[in-house]
Amino acid sequence: MKHATIGAWPPRFAAWLVSLFGSSEQAESILGDLQEEFSAITRKSGDDPARRWYWRQSLKTIAHLAVGSFRTVPWSLAGVVLLGLLLRRFDFQFQLPERVAIAILRAQRPYSNLHYGFYVWQINYGIPIACFVASMLIGCVVAILAKGREVVAAFTLIVVNAVSFVELVIRVYNHNPNSEGAFAALFHFFVFRWTLDVIGILVAGVLVRKLRSASSRPLVVR
Amino acid sequence: MSSRDYLGEFEHIVLLAVLRLDDQAYGVTVRREIEERTKREVSIGAIYATLDRLEAKSYVQSRAGDPTPERGGRSKRFFRVTAQGVSAVNRTHRALQRLTEGLDLVRSRS
Repeated sequence: MKHATIGAWPPRFAAWLVSLFGSSEQAESILGDLQEEFSAITRKSGDDPARRWYWRQSLKTIAHLAVGSFRTVPWSLAGVVLLGLLLRRFDFQFQLPERVAIAILRAQRPYSNLHYGFYVWQINYGIPIACFVASMLIGCVVAILAKGREVVAAFTLIVVNAVSFVELVIRVYNHNPNSEGAFAALFHFFVFRWTLDVIGILVAGVLVRKLRSASSRPLVVR
Repeated sequence: MSSRDYLGEFEHIVLLAVLRLDDQAYGVTVRREIEERTKREVSIGAIYATLDRLEAKSYVQSRAGDPTPERGGRSKRFFRVTAQGVSAVNRTHRALQRLTEGLDLVRSRS
């Protein structure tokens, strides 16, 4: 988005990060305030101190908005995150992405049609893609329900998920501490699934947030 | 809301700053007012998080101003304290006064 601004531009990535937190109206007024102060500091002290100030204020603002969301609507956020966690647990328990990938594989009948390459592709990429899509869907549900606090809810789900993954890894290790090879393979699998989860949920949260902001964005003066 | 619902320290400071600024209270002016009078560095995010909480408690009301080019085309969000907000400030002041009654704070400090 291009604005008719006098003087220097604030760091775009910092502004983008701020725009992800808080409600859409809140983000609009906060970014406006930050830009007004940034312009004043640029005129007074120059570009570099102003950029440093902007980054410092942005990071503090993000932290305050995230904590503030929990203080303003603690129960609705907790409910949404709990739902996300239950969906994640359901998905993990029944291995839905893997089942979908294998169902597609069977439908293609790779052996009879000699599509061995497709079989290998499906194992190496199909299942991870299905897992990623499942994480994105869960992230979308959570972000849609956490109206105005999409990214905060997505982040919280990621953190809670991380805790449950760590707990699962410890449980698996304690169950069979002698077979280190099997544990290492499982550990890599958990880390891989968790990484897919983080990316999927985060991308979904940001996407829902941006789509929602775009639909409610007020007109800007050019 | 309970009649014993007192303001937190920062809520109290923000409400007083909004009262002082009257119809010119928005993020930038509230932040500057607090920094000038308390010599305490505060972030825009802390002010908005507090104002949102105060708005949820009906202690302040907000309205959008006109978008301006120096703000990148974004509008200001002006705040004003409601009658309930003024009552909350008074209630908190009275509670603090009752607590400090009879204390010799000058002697205690030395």
